[in-house]
Amino acid sequence: MRTITFDIDRFDGTRSWTQSYSFEYDPALTVLASLILLKEKQDPTLNFTASCRSAICGSCAVRVNGNAVLACDTRLDTVLTQWQSDTLRISPIGNFHVLSDLVVDWSEKVERLRTAKPGLKAKAEFNAETGCRQSPAEFALIQKQWDCILCGSCASECNKLTDNDRDFLEPFVFTHANRYAQDSRSADGLLHVKEMVKQGLWKCLHCMECVTKCPKQIAPAADIAAMRAMAFAAGNTEGKGPRHAEAFRTDLENSGRLNEVRLVPRTEGLVDAATGRMGFTLRMLKHGKLSTREAVELFVTDNKPIEGIEGLRKIIRYRRDAK
Amino acid sequence: MTRKYAFFPGCVLNAAAREAREATEAVAAHIGLELVEIPGWSCCGASQIQDIEHDTALAANARNLALAEKMGLDVLTACSTCALMLRTARQELAAGRKDEVNKALATADLEYKGTADVTHILWLLADTVAQWGPLVKKPLKDVKVASFHGCHTVRPPTVMTHESHLNPQSMETIITACGATPVHIPERLKCCGFHAVFPAEQTALRLTANAADDAKKGGADCLLTPCPLCQMQLDMYQPDAQAAVGKGGDTPVLHLTQLVGLALGIGREKLGLTRHIISPESLLAKC
Repeated sequence: MRTITFDIDRFDGTRSWTQSYSFEYDPALTVLASLILLKEKQDPTLNFTASCRSAICGSCAVRVNGNAVLACDTRLDTVLTQWQSDTLRISPIGNFHVLSDLVVDWSEKVERLRTAKPGLKAKAEFNAETGCRQSPAEFALIQKQWDCILCGSCASECNKLTDNDRDFLEPFVFTHANRYAQDSRSADGLLHVKEMVKQGLWKCLHCMECVTKCPKQIAPAADIAAMRAMAFAAGNTEGKGPRHAEAFRTDLENSGRLNEVRLVPRTEGLVDAATGRMGFTLRMLKHGKLSTREAVELFVTDNKPIEGIEGLRKIIRYRRDAK
Repeated sequence: MTRKYAFFPGCVLNAAAREAREATEAVAAHIGLELVEIPGWSCCGASQIQDIEHDTALAANARNLALAEKMGLDVLTACSTCALMLRTARQELAAGRKDEVNKALATADLEYKGTADVTHILWLLADTVAQWGPLVKKPLKDVKVASFHGCHTVRPPTVMTHESHLNPQSMETIITACGATPVHIPERLKCCGFHAVFPAEQTALRLTANAADDAKKGGADCLLTPCPLCQMQLDMYQPDAQAAVGKGGDTPVLHLTQLVGLALGIGREKLGLTRHIISPESLLAKC
């Protein structure tokens, strides 16, 4: 008989421990069905949340070996193969307060979701008689975001959130904000974007954990990028994040390649870069990352334009004009 | 083993991470890989341009890929972010954007066809261990190496499809082939913070300190990364991270090809090992 072991992280409100449960392998099991089996047959005190068993309600996300999955939508065989082991660690999703065993608290998250100002404020021309119509192409821009089932998987391994959740939000909040920001029926899409700028829109690390973990194949990182673009196009270009991205963009058009020497002053401002980064700069020069001559040349005269720079500029201008 | 690739160095391999280019080219020449630099390649956008002018970055990368196609070669890069940006562009072009982007490329007499694949030096080395492994002259038997994959090496797995994003083994395969001992650290699949080092500086410094400290606690002689951006963050900013967080500060960080080069017996002067902020001397003494 093949035996599967779940080492489950448990919490009773005061005490934390890891408890091992073993059960007979069955290829028909999902992770959720395994948990239900354990609760029904071995330990009725084991707590977890689940409802629809159809990947719609979003209540059964847990971590398997430190990575979030939707338990009802994850076959046991899949994770056994992924980890090449018959012993798996099951834990509550990360970046949430744990209430009991695998049950996490959503109350704080709902309050944070409110910062996205969820809800459609429709354009004035729409009314009760004609409704709020949009074309299939316009709907396609927000269709995927509406698949969000608020399971919390995207937040579980978000590297930024794990480090500090006081200046950043759960990825699903950005997705919810963007689905209103991009909605052709919105009276003021920027309303949602401006709120997200205040809540750390430019602090995303690009770690791609949210994109990887979403069981509905939504890409919160792409929603963050879309709102950055929207903010930038509306003239919100101040701050280290926008200035950093703008430095890359103009370097591409000017020479074709990044000018690393100009990047810091363009991102932080000349005075801040000269004062705050002096130690860093001296360290770079001392260890030969760049020679003083190279650094001065790059700062004064920029990179030599790449072969075919005129062609690249034509391509960029064509794309921009097409927009 | 003789294979020829269109080489996409990426911006940092021409500047602050020049040693990664030197090591990549030295290793490639040693094991019979021919790297032909794509003439006129441009910045991949580095996930920065993508965030403010997505279509500009898409068109620039379509141009990069079209230039490689003209060479009749697949693309090889030694930077994980470059690999992700180029592969993402390739997917997007294949998913319906090709015709409209080709109208822009036509202004520069270029056409994107979709014939050139994009691979990473990490994947190539892992897949060809059987060929270059016998060339290892100086097995690094006393060296313990903590791998640090880098986010864009494995995520998102729909684009970076080479291996499991949860339990990748390519780095460990290469470390073992070099005769060294892999050290598994909890931070191996975490973010280094590079892409937000300015807007989220304190977070980036904490992530850097965590990785450096994790490697040290695990008994590793160095961190090893296949991404030059991770290497730059973990090496160049490690003193700042130590000052801000109070841990790390003396963990050498090697580029993947520097370690392979050492094992192959390539002269240290060809591997750029003097261009590190955190001295690798303690590691080199064991090689």
